[in-house]
Amino acid sequence: MEKGGFRVDPVTIDTTKIKITKKQPVTALDKLNDTGLISTVLAAREREGMILFSTIDQVFNWARLSSLWPVTSGLACCAIEMMAVAMAHHDIARFGMEIFRASPRQADLMFVAGTVTKRMAPRVKQLYEMMPDPKWVIAVGGCASTGGPYHESYSVLKGVDLIIPVDVYIPGCPPRPEAWIYAVIQLREKIKNQGYGAKWGLNK
Amino acid sequence: MESDELIINMGPVHPSTHGVLRFKLRMDGESIKECTPVIGYLHRGTEKIGEMKTYLQFIPYTDRLDYISAFPNNYAFVKAVEELAGIEVPIRAEYIRVLTMELNRIVNHLVAIGSLLMDLGAATMIMWGFRERENALQLFEMLCGARMTFNYIKPGGVREDIPEGFMPKLNEFLKDMEKRIVDYEQLINGNEIFHMRMKNIGVINAKDAVNFGWTGPTLRGSGVDYDLRKYEPYSIYPDLDFKVCVRNEGDSFARFIVRIDEMKESLHILRQVVDNMPVSKVISSAEYGIAPMTGTPTAVSTYFPRIFTPPAGEVYSRIEAPKGELGFYVVSDGTTKPYRVKIRSPSFCNLTAIPSLVKGLKIGDLIAAFGTIDVVLGDVDR
Amino acid sequence: MNAAEELKNFLPGSVISTGLQLNKPMAVIKKEELLKAAGKAKEMGFDHLSVITGIDYKDHFEVIYNFFSYSKKQNLALKVNLDHDKPEVDSLTSLWKGADWLERETFDLVGIKFIGHPNLIRILLPDGWNGHPLRKDYDMNSEQFVTVGENGDDIVSPDGTNLLRRK
Repeated sequence: MEKGGFRVDPVTIDTTKIKITKKQPVTALDKLNDTGLISTVLAAREREGMILFSTIDQVFNWARLSSLWPVTSGLACCAIEMMAVAMAHHDIARFGMEIFRASPRQADLMFVAGTVTKRMAPRVKQLYEMMPDPKWVIAVGGCASTGGPYHESYSVLKGVDLIIPVDVYIPGCPPRPEAWIYAVIQLREKIKNQGYGAKWGLNK
Repeated sequence: MESDELIINMGPVHPSTHGVLRFKLRMDGESIKECTPVIGYLHRGTEKIGEMKTYLQFIPYTDRLDYISAFPNNYAFVKAVEELAGIEVPIRAEYIRVLTMELNRIVNHLVAIGSLLMDLGAATMIMWGFRERENALQLFEMLCGARMTFNYIKPGGVREDIPEGFMPKLNEFLKDMEKRIVDYEQLINGNEIFHMRMKNIGVINAKDAVNFGWTGPTLRGSGVDYDLRKYEPYSIYPDLDFKVCVRNEGDSFARFIVRIDEMKESLHILRQVVDNMPVSKVISSAEYGIAPMTGTPTAVSTYFPRIFTPPAGEVYSRIEAPKGELGFYVVSDGTTKPYRVKIRSPSFCNLTAIPSLVKGLKIGDLIAAFGTIDVVLGDVDR
Repeated sequence: MNAAEELKNFLPGSVISTGLQLNKPMAVIKKEELLKAAGKAKEMGFDHLSVITGIDYKDHFEVIYNFFSYSKKQNLALKVNLDHDKPEVDSLTSLWKGADWLERETFDLVGIKFIGHPNLIRILLPDGWNGHPLRKDYDMNSEQFVTVGENGDDIVSPDGTNLLRRK
């Protein structure tokens, strides 16, 4: 770990002797820099003004990933973990999922949480088709990924990706809320890298 | 002016959290003339899978029946197997099982009350309920590693003993819950809208309730004084002192208050269990007189064998799960896998009375009456 | 004297034998006399019908009814043997309203017909499903898929091309 030019060994370091001085943010530009949100803010520092330069792709992707609204498609036991993730202890409203929309026409993310049976499959497909573009799907748990523990049953669809395209799979039965949040972060990374800017290497 | 009747479909995907249940309603204006529930959207074939797995391999599948409180399902199946094979359980294991079961009862009633109030529009209760539930789930995680689906039980005891640090945390949880239940009662008693929406809705008298096959808190809300823990006791319930909570009115409000009273009784039982916990083994070892088993246990093994064969026969055993009476009918033919497992689930039998309960009510009243019956679709469809 | 023997004393013609279901009294009833025997059990105080189980032994079917009495706190089980080609038995919906869905489920999964039931259609599986899954000769290798028809009903077919994205 390099700090100010000399090597600091983390094992033998004596933390009582180190004083790290940090400047308190004074101007609005300093506060924005502290958040580390937008990487192009450094370009604006020299100009001493609040002008940010970015690509259209980056701005659109940032807008899409910061406020994904899920539709409540909780089918079985994983739906209870969905409720637990949405409540106060592990809060996914921090990631922009403030409200779970009841109607698929107002949502852009679908958590398929629970076992998809053969009888329910056309309804799940209809829900997916009712969502407007751009839309993403996260398959939560073992049952939605591949059929899970009920793989040998006669009435269970062996994975929801047989009927709709899936972006992120979460293993687990049911997955822990921390795993759920990790999957949301992975989806945000995927959305950040969408578009032509990412393909041509412009989103640095 | 003559008006036609309106057919409304409350589809399998609707925003209340009970799962994939569908109602076909025939309405005359705003009142319901006829209501037909359509189930089967979560039918996973658990009973058929029971014929393909060994006894120990089937226990995780019983977890997923009533997934809000999973331990009583495990215990009902294991009790049936233990009765069939004649296995004795050490006393400490029984105390640990009752501790987990009563904690599950509290968790289940918290979610039931919370989602009922959320359906009626008050979002506070579900936030509070899930905050308490997080503490209980952390306790379960200390005990067996999983939050919701435990697989902590085996025929003959439980897998492991209670870890260090569990008892102080449990005592803290009990003290906390007492104060919070007072909060919940204040929230309900002072709320006129809640009283108006719940009283005299969905009334059923005792004789009809028994005829429909109702059990559990819904039956006790109609005046029938019956609790399997008291009158056909199993495990260590004969040594514990608690009372059965009964209300006589038979409407939704009575069924609701029965659940709050049951939470208080569960706290009382938990305190007795914590005070009197004995010291012994937690799993019966291989010498406890069961049928010849496959696999070779070693001379010093104190573990219950993973594959065992109970004698041929059939048994029906029931327990008082938080939602009602949960029964397992196990038929064994002397091999390592059961011949037939039939699950009598409380939600399935409580749901049959919905058509006659809601005749003439409005849709808002249907939600209120249906919420107090406390149905979970994993239990209904299996 | 346990409850099964009392029932035998009341109706000697209907009861074939009495025995024990592990530790609960059980009586084996002739198929035609089931309604009479169940009515007599209800008079004796057994007002709670707990479960109806259908079992497929390969040469015959069995249907087992478990009763319980709230007033006397006793258990009773009744068993009926049916032949394999024509599994039919009387329905108990006239005595217990809760038997409605329990019998529909037994018809759906095991394939036993209940004569006199007001609405004997499938409940857990969609309407056009082929076969009864809990029978021992059900073919687990053939898959059936469900699609939705015009007025919202389920259509079952072994071919799911308009539903699946890939095989």
